[in-house]
Amino acid sequence: MDYIISILTFSGITLVGVLGAYLVTGLTGLFSFGQAAFLAVGAYSSAVLVTNYGVSFPVAVVIAMLLGLIAGLIVGVPTVRLRRDYISLVTFGFGEAIIAILNNSANLTGGAMGLSGIPQYTTFPVVLISVAVCLTIVVSYKYSKYGRQCLALRSDELAAKSMGINVNRLKLTTFLLASVITSYAGVLFAFYTSYVEPGAFGWVVSAEWLIIVFVGGINSLTGTVISALLLTSLPELLRFASEWRIFIYCAIVLVIINYRPTGIFGEYEFSWRSLKRIAARGGKAV
Amino acid sequence: MLIIQQLINGISLGSVYALIAVGFALVFNILKFSNFSHGGLMTLTAYMGYMGALFFMPYIGSIPLFCATILTAAAAGGITAIGVERLAFRRLRRNNSPLIYYFISSITMGILMENLVTIFASSNFYSYPKFFQSSVITVVGLNIAVSDFLMLFFSSAALGLLLWVLYRTKIGLAIRALSFDVNTASLMGMDSNRVVLATFIASGVLGGISGVFLGINYTLYPQLGQLIVKGFVASVIGGLGSISGAMIGAVLLGVVEVFLISFVGAGLAPAFVFIIMLAFLLVRPRGIAGVIVQEKA
Repeated sequence: MDYIISILTFSGITLVGVLGAYLVTGLTGLFSFGQAAFLAVGAYSSAVLVTNYGVSFPVAVVIAMLLGLIAGLIVGVPTVRLRRDYISLVTFGFGEAIIAILNNSANLTGGAMGLSGIPQYTTFPVVLISVAVCLTIVVSYKYSKYGRQCLALRSDELAAKSMGINVNRLKLTTFLLASVITSYAGVLFAFYTSYVEPGAFGWVVSAEWLIIVFVGGINSLTGTVISALLLTSLPELLRFASEWRIFIYCAIVLVIINYRPTGIFGEYEFSWRSLKRIAARGGKAV
Repeated sequence: MLIIQQLINGISLGSVYALIAVGFALVFNILKFSNFSHGGLMTLTAYMGYMGALFFMPYIGSIPLFCATILTAAAAGGITAIGVERLAFRRLRRNNSPLIYYFISSITMGILMENLVTIFASSNFYSYPKFFQSSVITVVGLNIAVSDFLMLFFSSAALGLLLWVLYRTKIGLAIRALSFDVNTASLMGMDSNRVVLATFIASGVLGGISGVFLGINYTLYPQLGQLIVKGFVASVIGGLGSISGAMIGAVLLGVVEVFLISFVGAGLAPAFVFIIMLAFLLVRPRGIAGVIVQEKA
């Protein structure tokens, strides 16, 4: 039971991070290859504050999220007004820069050895509540005015602009929201594993999140959530050769992108009404 | 004297970055998306070059061995690039898919190649055999590492060859035409598949050569391809989508980095390079050469 709960906790933390990636990629169609760097910002700042300076946990969480916001501003402000490629390239560079800084400020962060002895505050109920809160935020964002504007912007930036949407500002807002959510995921991560090292935040993590978003369907939040839970917990549960795990993901994505580019769930979103409809159709088929 | 020495080291490092940046810019030029699989390709070819070096080692030594290694990696890069184009982009182009799918496809391909290397080389560190007896040559009081010198030589040769192909041959003309406007070029009866394939091969060959150089500079490890970030920075500084801009940006980056390393140390240099890139984006987002900034609708 402990084992299953630990897997669920971990999937929950990943899900919060993936929600950040969904905001950036699924809603605005930007690609962040440094999303894991925001995870690092959240994890390290909160961990250092609590273990080295004795700051109380809730205060550390708030400061970590603020730092995530500032990091988001540093990356976002110069890039949102440019072509979409720039935000990918710059976030990639940002990830490398963060890792370099973490590796080279050994007296504060423990350098490549990592930082250990972080108290374990992240329990299963905490993760459950966090997931619920973040999910609510993201769902309401998607269905708010901003979310709809984002979708317009994703399919055609020029058209969105000519409809009077402030494209740059919208991109920045979404990017910042994602940064904050991801840094919060970082806090959860650090206080769950009680050990952080720079190697855990490389671009492969960011890319894995993008893959998760994509497998579920870039238009479907439901798909993203389900694929996040499945893709992080299944390998743990089935224990199939972990080194082939990423290879299999990639193969799946290549097949999907070539033959079903909308992802597994397409545009489907979970709601009770749609469930009833499916049940009714299933009943007829039988 | 030390400054000149540093300058030469910087230019040599910059020439390797130029290979990366140009390999990246070539594909960007035609398909208008950032090809993130280039890093994975560099990793893969660096290992293939290593296997080539081991294979040829009993027969030849020093400079011929070096050339053989580079040729192996370049060939491997070309062939891998064909595979990448087939698997990841051919269908997307036929379906006229939106740009997002190209992104995802290239990232996936990049991780796939990196992961393949991790699986088969199991995250161990390998290093290339020592190619030369003496590692330093002295020219008018300047000590230049032989590997630095050869890197500069081979990178310039490869880039010169590329420029010659682009501006003096028929296929080069086709590549330039296609990068200008895909639809018009196809309407003129150009076989766009063939031209795109040729571009990918050229980019793969450059990627292969840069892979070997990176492997010589930093030993071989599966995450070697992440040094593609240098190529990104160089392209951003030079101007996205411009080949000459990428070259200038890369050499500048190499020189700046060598000086930064002597001032702030190798560890923090990436952070400073990142800050320089951000400053560049704020002041002159279109880069030195400056072509594409805003997205065309």
